Amino acid sequence: MLVRLLASPGGGLGAALTLVLLVVGLAAPLLAPYDPFAVDGPALSRPTGAHPLGTDALGRDLLSGIIWGARTSLLVAGCVAVLVSIVGATVGLLSGYAGGWADDVLMRLTEAFQVLPRFFLALVVIAFFGPGLDRLILVLGLTSWPLLARVVRAEVLALRTREFVEAARVHGASRTRILLREILPNAVPPAIALLGLVVAQVILIEAGLGFLGLGDPNVVSWGALSSEAQQFLRVAWWLSLFPGVAILLAVLGLNLLGDALTDVVTGRR
Amino acid sequence: MTVVAVGVLAAGCNSGSDGGGDSAAEPTGTTAPTRGGTLVAALDSDPGQLNPAITTNGGVHTASEIMFNGLVGLSPEQTPVPELADSWEVLEDGALYRFDLRDGVTWHDGEPFTSADVKFTFEEMLLPFHARTKASVGAALESIETPDDDTVEFRFSEPYAPLLLQLDVTEAPILPRHVYEGTDVQENPANSAPVGTGPFVFASYTPDSEIRFTANRSYFRDDLPHLDELVMRIIPEGGNRVAALEAGEVDWLFGAPGAELARLQESGGYGFLETSINPGGSNCIMTVSFNLDRPMFQDVQLRRALGQALDGEQFVERVLFGQGRVAEAPISSGIGFAHAADLDGMPQFDRAEAERLLDEAGWVRSDGGTRTAQGVQGVPDDTPLAFGFTHFPTFGQYGQLLRAQLAEVGAEVELVPLEPAAFGDTVFTSRDFDTNIISYCNGVDPEIGVKRMYTTDNIGPVPFSNSSAYRSPDVDRLFDQARTTVDDGERAQIYRELQEQLVEDLPYLWIVETVGTRVYDSACEGFGPAGHFAEGAHCSA
Amino acid sequence: MTRRYVLRRLLQVLPTATVILLVGFLLIHLAPGDPVLALAGQSGDAEYYAFMREKFGLDEPLTTQLAIYAGNALRGDLGTSYVQGRPVFDIIAERLPATMLLTGTALVLSTAVGIVVGIVAATSAGRWPDVTVSTTALALYAAPVFLLGQLAILLLALRAGWFPVQGMRDARDPGTGASQLLDVGHHLVLPVLVLASQEVAAVARLCRVGLVDELARDHVRTARAKGVPERVVVTKHALRRALLPVVTVLGGRVGHLVSGAVIVEVVFGWPGIGRLLVTAMQTRDAPIVLGIFLLVAVTVVLANLVTDLLYAWLDPRVRYS
Repeated sequence: MLVRLLASPGGGLGAALTLVLLVVGLAAPLLAPYDPFAVDGPALSRPTGAHPLGTDALGRDLLSGIIWGARTSLLVAGCVAVLVSIVGATVGLLSGYAGGWADDVLMRLTEAFQVLPRFFLALVVIAFFGPGLDRLILVLGLTSWPLLARVVRAEVLALRTREFVEAARVHGASRTRILLREILPNAVPPAIALLGLVVAQVILIEAGLGFLGLGDPNVVSWGALSSEAQQFLRVAWWLSLFPGVAILLAVLGLNLLGDALTDVVTGRR
Repeated sequence: MTVVAVGVLAAGCNSGSDGGGDSAAEPTGTTAPTRGGTLVAALDSDPGQLNPAITTNGGVHTASEIMFNGLVGLSPEQTPVPELADSWEVLEDGALYRFDLRDGVTWHDGEPFTSADVKFTFEEMLLPFHARTKASVGAALESIETPDDDTVEFRFSEPYAPLLLQLDVTEAPILPRHVYEGTDVQENPANSAPVGTGPFVFASYTPDSEIRFTANRSYFRDDLPHLDELVMRIIPEGGNRVAALEAGEVDWLFGAPGAELARLQESGGYGFLETSINPGGSNCIMTVSFNLDRPMFQDVQLRRALGQALDGEQFVERVLFGQGRVAEAPISSGIGFAHAADLDGMPQFDRAEAERLLDEAGWVRSDGGTRTAQGVQGVPDDTPLAFGFTHFPTFGQYGQLLRAQLAEVGAEVELVPLEPAAFGDTVFTSRDFDTNIISYCNGVDPEIGVKRMYTTDNIGPVPFSNSSAYRSPDVDRLFDQARTTVDDGERAQIYRELQEQLVEDLPYLWIVETVGTRVYDSACEGFGPAGHFAEGAHCSA
Repeated sequence: MTRRYVLRRLLQVLPTATVILLVGFLLIHLAPGDPVLALAGQSGDAEYYAFMREKFGLDEPLTTQLAIYAGNALRGDLGTSYVQGRPVFDIIAERLPATMLLTGTALVLSTAVGIVVGIVAATSAGRWPDVTVSTTALALYAAPVFLLGQLAILLLALRAGWFPVQGMRDARDPGTGASQLLDVGHHLVLPVLVLASQEVAAVARLCRVGLVDELARDHVRTARAKGVPERVVVTKHALRRALLPVVTVLGGRVGHLVSGAVIVEVVFGWPGIGRLLVTAMQTRDAPIVLGIFLLVAVTVVLANLVTDLLYAWLDPRVRYS
């Protein structure tokens, strides 16, 4: 499966970009040439040898900022992915397994959360509760699970009939255990594909919020960098371009990878 | 006895600028001003409503002052000049002011302007709702009399020195009685379609888009305004405003991001007007407050140390891009007579000294990291020197720089941005903050915007009052004295004594005085710095 | 299409709408910060604030406020804006046309262009045109909207001078009648381009996938074998079914477009509800924030509804009992 994934052009590029993102984010303290908050450098300096991506108005190195920003994006994306997985899998499992009116209710709930405009909701939450990574993670984590729930539920439904057939033959093995042992592993590949796309969305939303000035000022994030870069668009183009390109590459990589994974997974069936 | 306040307009104006002030603008240069044309100005936000008498909100004032007048205007040197009142007498040592109103002034709807309008505006709008006027004039005023249609008298219980500096269109705009009488002044539809006496008449208001005005051809200054039409375009993004100016879609900016100014200056074709007078408030100082109710900040040595760790020049250079100066005294240099030059106690930037003071105060460094308390009164041992810094989102750059500078001496700062709507409540009502930064505008007289920062009776819940919760009976007494002293020389002495006490007690850290730079297409000239900026403006071609 | 299906689908809107209302309202009113201070500028006093608080019913317990609000909302009364002192409904209604113009045009444009791009990509699947076109579309989709907006302003408005930098109309001379339409159109180009470019990829990708599938099917192969020209094969035999997925995601795309519109409106100074929302958030004008949130959520719900009905009508195989 991995070979097939990497063979397709999209998958290969996507995997590469995603890998870069992971490495940069995890190894940020080792890779960044400067402390991203240090105001020692010259203000608004173009890319030079000392500062390969230039500096901002306060004299902070942009390359270091982007590296640490990758770390923040990873953190947010990772936490959201975990939250989404937990909530989505739980709802999906319950809904598919229980069936009947519980399934109906949960599906209505899923639908309601699915149509909630996430960006708007994040805007409202951040604007009223103040900026902060924790709020962002909560908001996005608690609203991005519907699609995952559906995927898991579909798995449960698909396997339930098979399970009944098998249970007729296998005595004693607990239905629940078979459910968990059979279903979850099967649900993982489509879930991961979906998570890739969810995470890409999360990064874009965080950037958008940052642009509107609603990012967390106590961490380095690509969104915050973009927001500060706004007023310097003409005098310091590098401040807008590089964070923007970083976002683009990260989101592109995740989307490509997610797509390739989906292709591989659906191709299997 | 006349009262004259002497002030100095902050910093020299750059080349190519014209200071029109609030008095009748004399055309400069040898060519006669071009008549007609439309001027487009950019606003950074939608004002919401257009009545400047019931609020001190900067956005409302910027957009609406052009339609109104005050009794007494202010010249570029901040001295009183006639506006709606053409002469006045100060009697009974300053307890009675009599104003002779200008003849032949009419409202935009044709009705004549009379003393009844003045009395009505003060009693029904300014004193209940305009916070600065209410807090200063309102506290001391006994009554307003109108012996006839052309005369207004202000009677105070004690001599009130600063009155003539508080009657301009920013502090006391006059509104028409015949439009507002008998109505709820806050709901009256005229708040979105005003009637005034000013140089421009309201034409239309499209929310979040633009406000349009036409010239008042019956304006009491005969040859003004030169322009036919004025449009205020609402463009929230700073970069977009500059872009609009460069594209020729807009002719006048009330301010430009500091980084763009150098570029605009280089490209040529623009005029610049540097000023510390703003429609929302003048002579503003970026001030850091300490929540003195919290034990960590109760040691003046700690506050002094933090003050010495701050490099004001770096703020001027990197946050203001030169649009301002390091604050050298608690009272702005824009209020010349009261500003105390060469104050000994003002914290000077000295990192080594700051570190020494911190060590002495009991805040110990553990190998280059954040300091912790060891034997600090009221603070448990091993508490880190870490605190929050609350600020408007637009002041984010101050926070970022302050955090970096204080990190050098082992203090850890957490930024807490708060929108204005939440800021007031959190800082002034619940007092839930460690430190904050506020642009405290002094006004043109210390009575207007300085006193409220320091007196004991001004501690919460009203926003932008005494944020540190500083309590000093001596200082309270000195402010009372200053208010009732009419002689300027004596007042200056009192304010000097006050500032000496303030830098000794250090309830705040005064960082930088800010200056705004208006930018305009050089095809136009004749501008003033504030609300009446376009009164004498004209554009060629 | 059965009437039962339509009715059931319609009824499903209500619980969703209720959840939306509840979520929005609770969030806004549980947040820290007193909305009343948005009114009074830099310095008001305690009496004034108390007066304002009572005037806007902020003293009532939350549940009472919610009940009042819900009842009003159903009647079309969304409350009064704290800051502007006017009904929220009026304020939103004033600005809605601008956003509808922007998102509507972007929706149509991105669908049209997306389909064309999808066809190009599908018919040359795996080869050069497909790769370049697909990657470009994907890159546009991955780029943050504000970056595209700022680049557009920088290159097309400032450098080239072809388009205005901001706003919906010319400030100096708005003009009337036909010239006004032209003026608005001129101002519309950049914001729509930026907004639509994001969506082209989404449409193109769906179209491409569906078309590739269809083109591999038996009946298409038969048509080709019969000698039917390729163009007819694509448009007549394959396209209709391939477009079904495009229709399915219409609801989601509306949501995405409106979210993107917030940023586009801020970048270009377009006077729509996106900008209104941002301003209202800054002034803590809760009724407007809630009103817009509600409006957008309900719009997305309705878009989903329309989508489902449309899909059911187009594809007879889809019939829920």
